[in-house]
Amino acid sequence: MIRHLSPLLFIRNIATTIPISTASQLTFKTIAYPRSRRLIPSYNQLSFFSTTTIRHHGHIKKPEPGEELKVTFVLKDGEQKTFDVCEDETLLDIAQGHDLDMEGACGGSCACSTCHVIVDPDYYDALPEPEDDENDMLDLAPGLTETSRLGCQVKMSKDIDGIRVALPTMTRNVNNNDFK
Amino acid sequence: MTVWRRYISTHVPRKKVSIIGSGPAGFYTAYHLLSKSPVPLDVTIWEKLPVPFGLSRYGVAPDHPEVKNCEETFTDCARKFSSHSEKHHFEFVGGIEIGKQIKLAQLLENQDAVILSYGCNGDRYLGIPGEQGTKGVFSSRQFVNWYNGHPSVAMDPEFTNFNWSGVRNVGIIGNGNVALDIARILLSNRIDELWKHTDVSTIALNCLRKAPIHNVKIIGRRDFLHSKFTNKELREMWQLEKYGIRGNISREYFSENMFDLGSHDRAFKRRVEMCSEYLKPFDQRTKKNFKKSVPPPRTQEDRQWKLDYLKSPLKIEKDNYTNRIQSLTLSHNLLTEDNRLIVDPNGKEVTYNLDLLITSLGYAGVPLPEFSELDIAFEKGHISNEQGRVLNNDGDLFPGLYASGWIRKGSQGVIASTMQDSFEVADRVIQDLLQPPRYIYERKRTVDIDLSGTPHTTWADWEK
Repeated sequence: MIRHLSPLLFIRNIATTIPISTASQLTFKTIAYPRSRRLIPSYNQLSFFSTTTIRHHGHIKKPEPGEELKVTFVLKDGEQKTFDVCEDETLLDIAQGHDLDMEGACGGSCACSTCHVIVDPDYYDALPEPEDDENDMLDLAPGLTETSRLGCQVKMSKDIDGIRVALPTMTRNVNNNDFK
Repeated sequence: MTVWRRYISTHVPRKKVSIIGSGPAGFYTAYHLLSKSPVPLDVTIWEKLPVPFGLSRYGVAPDHPEVKNCEETFTDCARKFSSHSEKHHFEFVGGIEIGKQIKLAQLLENQDAVILSYGCNGDRYLGIPGEQGTKGVFSSRQFVNWYNGHPSVAMDPEFTNFNWSGVRNVGIIGNGNVALDIARILLSNRIDELWKHTDVSTIALNCLRKAPIHNVKIIGRRDFLHSKFTNKELREMWQLEKYGIRGNISREYFSENMFDLGSHDRAFKRRVEMCSEYLKPFDQRTKKNFKKSVPPPRTQEDRQWKLDYLKSPLKIEKDNYTNRIQSLTLSHNLLTEDNRLIVDPNGKEVTYNLDLLITSLGYAGVPLPEFSELDIAFEKGHISNEQGRVLNNDGDLFPGLYASGWIRKGSQGVIASTMQDSFEVADRVIQDLLQPPRYIYERKRTVDIDLSGTPHTTWADWEK
């Protein structure tokens, strides 16, 4: 334990109780600490620490003005988010670059099904057909639909400007209503 | 500023979570906990071997390196939270087997949650005469560990001293992806370009190269409909034709029109199409997917593989002087109307002459030695649990104990499904840490876990 002087040492009466907050209730636990360790921050101050998620290897480029393509993601709770993106960005990179809940366990190399998305039927036919490799992986995706694709294999292009895709949930059946 | 963060970081009251096992199950559980928990955590992953990643390192076929990309996610996660300026803290402890240097009971006393993710590391057996003590009969788990360089077996004389140059006829019992992985490495053992850039064990590859391998039979007890391998791996087998390695399925077990395709899922329909096309001579195939590279003209010397069905092994015959395998005798099976498997009463036994037999029956889950004294329920090869919360032998929830991955559900599924499973269990752990159910008692915390006397490796050691 490194002991060093900190400005807070000069502030007395820092609480020795630690609030442990949950969504619906606050409970307190009193802990006896020696004086030198009384400066235990309250739970709320923990937002001080970084809470960015761990992934994000892909660096999302900002599109040139006038050359933006739009893509909308329908999230698991039904919320829709639209982003301006560059041509040739994959849906996986876009999703992860914007902190959406999409995993790419194999790093986007078409070797798993964790970036499975369901494409709005209006846009599905504008996409080039999936290769055997992609279809083999899709075979294993839970909640597979007629318009399912792997996010790592779909690249943005002018043909699919405005495309909408839904992130599949285990419990919810995606249907046309999601795209209304 | 970092000094201040470090100061706070060392004083933050964190909940202690231990995860046993550093394979995909363990690491994905850690990853999800560290990404999603509102409660600050001190997560420790305990691993028996000095190096992490479990089956990702030792189970995935060396020619499928992209499947191991999950290790990058794990590494990033470990690095980020090993620092001392995050809300959560992470530690990796390698070279410690829970039950030996540290007891499970100690962890349960000391930690707020313990998650068992140690996978299935036992073998399943045929239980037939000749299976034990015959040279040239190996379990898939051992064989895969060997060619992946697992420390327990990489230089095992059972493998390295075996007479590989005498291996022409091979039998593989089992119909999962591992059976196909094994068939693939045997059949393509001398094709340099496929193995050159992989991290297959060179000791193993050099041994395997000696084998002339003329034909490989992949034997399942049920029929084509029940083969558990996935289309990707089957496609890779068919694509070996470009090296002159030919596949076959007897007409008795497969023909294009044999199945009522309407009642099957998309994966099966694609499988039927794939097999029908590849079984046709190249110029008679109708779809361009199956005409990508022209195979060389057929010769007598061509290596062959065959999907063989409705057979169950009965006994292994060996040479009494050398103890080496000579043949395998099998029964013919029938599937009844109601899908039960029985021995065909009118079928004769069949005998294959074999130089190598690999049993690829799946990985068996093994209970930890302390389970019985702790009253932890274990049955059918996995830990009894309800949504990841471990149960005791009375069917009640065992406080603070969880299971994720294969040891929870049994040894099936790919990494992606294990990831899903780990995420679900991690969510339940978080749920319980936020609102401890009534049965949670206050941990005594009298027993501190002291590793200072015990040799072990850390994440920093691993990164070197």
